[in-house]
Amino acid sequence: MKSTNIYLTSIGTGYDLSNSVFSPDGRNFQVEYAMKAVENGGTSIGIKCKDGIVLACEKIINSKLLVPGKNKRIQTVDRHLGVVYSGLLPDGRHFVNRCREESQSFKSIFKIPIPVPNLLDRIGLYVQNYTCYNSVRPFGIVGIIGGIDDNGSHLYMVEPSGSFWGYSGAATGKGRQIAKSELEKLKFDDLNIKDAIKQAARIISLAHEDNKDKDYELEISWCSKEFTNGKHEFIPIELLEEAKKFAEEDEGDEDEDEEEGEGEGEGEGEDTEMN
Amino acid sequence: MNHDPYYWGRPSDEVYGQYNYNIANAKNVEQHNQNNSNFPKMNTQQPIITGTSVISSKFKNGIIIAADNVGSYGSLMRFNNIERLIKVGSQTIVGISGDISDLQYIQRILDELEIQQEVYDNDGGDFLIAPNVHEYLSRVMYNRRSNMNPLWNSIIVAGFDSEKKPFLRYVDLLGVTYHASTIATGFGSHLAIPLLRNLIPENKDYINVNEEQAKKVIEDSMRVLFYRDARSGEVYSYAVIRLNEETGKIEFEFNKKTKVEDQKWRFAKDIRGYGSTQH
Amino acid sequence: MNQVQTTVASEYSSEINKIPIEHRFNPYSDNGGTVLGIAGKDFAVLAGDTRQSEGYSIQSRYEKKIHNVGDNILMTANGFAADGVELIDQFKQQLKWYKFDNQNQKLKIGSAARYIQHLLYNKRFFPFYVHTLIAGLDDDGKGAIYSYDPVGSYEREQCRAGGAAASLIMPFLDNQVNFKNQMIPGTNENKTIEFLELDEVIKLVRDAFTSAGERHIYVGDGLEILIVTKEGVRTEYYPLKRD
Repeated sequence: MKSTNIYLTSIGTGYDLSNSVFSPDGRNFQVEYAMKAVENGGTSIGIKCKDGIVLACEKIINSKLLVPGKNKRIQTVDRHLGVVYSGLLPDGRHFVNRCREESQSFKSIFKIPIPVPNLLDRIGLYVQNYTCYNSVRPFGIVGIIGGIDDNGSHLYMVEPSGSFWGYSGAATGKGRQIAKSELEKLKFDDLNIKDAIKQAARIISLAHEDNKDKDYELEISWCSKEFTNGKHEFIPIELLEEAKKFAEEDEGDEDEDEEEGEGEGEGEGEDTEMN
Repeated sequence: MNHDPYYWGRPSDEVYGQYNYNIANAKNVEQHNQNNSNFPKMNTQQPIITGTSVISSKFKNGIIIAADNVGSYGSLMRFNNIERLIKVGSQTIVGISGDISDLQYIQRILDELEIQQEVYDNDGGDFLIAPNVHEYLSRVMYNRRSNMNPLWNSIIVAGFDSEKKPFLRYVDLLGVTYHASTIATGFGSHLAIPLLRNLIPENKDYINVNEEQAKKVIEDSMRVLFYRDARSGEVYSYAVIRLNEETGKIEFEFNKKTKVEDQKWRFAKDIRGYGSTQH
Repeated sequence: MNQVQTTVASEYSSEINKIPIEHRFNPYSDNGGTVLGIAGKDFAVLAGDTRQSEGYSIQSRYEKKIHNVGDNILMTANGFAADGVELIDQFKQQLKWYKFDNQNQKLKIGSAARYIQHLLYNKRFFPFYVHTLIAGLDDDGKGAIYSYDPVGSYEREQCRAGGAAASLIMPFLDNQVNFKNQMIPGTNENKTIEFLELDEVIKLVRDAFTSAGERHIYVGDGLEILIVTKEGVRTEYYPLKRD
């Protein structure tokens, strides 16, 4: 694989040991390694549709002793804002805490809930800071932040480098390639939020295919003017069950598409990520 | 090392001495540590814009609380659109009299409290109830008075306790707290409390009083306050929180822009003296 | 007379004036009420009225003032209510930590007494404005009352009244509990001190509070007596005049 070569050439040169030091060809290897940590995490996705956003994640169950339905991976930052992330969980917790501090600070100064792009400006800056000093390491997560503000619904993805992009559909974690290619097939312009939930369940289930030996729990949250009054909440249990059923029924017919998509996605993904 | 990113990359104090904040004219950084102000630190010594009484009463299966919408600047009626009843969580009302800017600060910290307790990762945990809100506020009020920097307010917290019994408790700028079945702040403690205690003579007697009775006495009290408290207003808000005994659910009713009814001014025509021009 | 000159801001922020500052905020108030503790041979009682007032207003006719803080210790801090609540909260919190750090060992009344001295004395430059009393049983099972001034000076006593009507009740207690100024009839000798029984003590306490309630505006509404014996703590309540 192309990527393996790139890493091999860097090992031992010393440029991969520290943040705040570029390699001669202008790369910060610590940031790229952080991305590797993300690539092993459970899949997270986000979908933006015209009447809201949906976040979903594949929560890998590492022990049968964990209480089902608890230990949530999707978190709420402010009433109107949700976050899901893949990668190192404690890094994610810290990331969410910072998002919450920024949101409360904004609200305390300006009275209104923080607009989503504004939060991303701030949080992007914060994440970027962790790539500039040799006493710290970058965040080992990619975060997907979704929410509703006065300008409608927003969906963003923040990377360990601190860069963030707005998306219609975002995916990260182990199954991101499959998820991305599935997301690309969605018609975001006329997707309504209830269908988006079903699609999210289906995509997470597909993305889990490669990781079948591990059990997972599906978490889905939404944020919609119509159904949650603009609040970020977990979807009601009936909707979750319905979505799961939809995903199961769909699984049979999707086999072929999925393999195709995977191949395509892999190529594309490597290009963008290693650039 | 100091892990706040704003400190990263600074020369360490031990080696290079205190960081010189005037470098690059960075005057806005760390102002709180510099203390180079020309003025002594000043704290609130008196309220500025004020809200008058808040009055409240328990009844058999709930609680009622009322406050008018006036914000006074001394004897000037500066505002008539101040909402002094704040909803916290799903079943608690905080009624605030005293300084309005401090009221707005309290409103803000209560919103932050609500977000922290109810929005963040509430994984099937407890939700905020009135005793929680009161305890929080009383800690804030007592700490502020202990720093000689009080929040100039009297506050009534109304709601239900964990056993779904009506809860009513007071806290003020000194951190003094108490409970009773009828509580009123400010002028209300002189004018409304006698009417309320007439309905509910002893704390436990609130169980013999129904919502209509309590509401009537609250309305009467608001009228008396409007007659005799020069800082009161004709328009007020009131909230009723009741336990529906059939469904076991707590119902919340928030009424705004209520007017003082049944005012009687016929005596006015007979007034002589006191600057009246009538003969 | 020299007035204190202090710098304050005027409306024009660049202009500095030297004028005396008037500090209007008074962090204390008096919430009235009175408390009383009496130690017996194998029991101790701590009693207080249940009225809380501010100025001429009665804030509450029933606000708990005597607290069972655990480990068979009763505590009250009468005066400025907010400080009283804070002191008792701090002590309860520390008692929890004491038990946690010491294999759940019971806190002796003498240790509790000394500890409360520290709580009060540490804040001597901004004192808790309260008269503190604690009651419990000592190592020999005898009743013990400790009383404090606001800055932590303390002493073990047989009986003590504190709060608004302390000056009304204390002489009565001196006479009835410690038999001060009581002579044995027909002789020139003072009556010797002997322990009172619980029922006698309760009678004394009730009389003390009904009398104080007649004469003092800050006393009334209800009397709550907490009794500590080796069996534990029990509470009695008697109404008082509400005027």
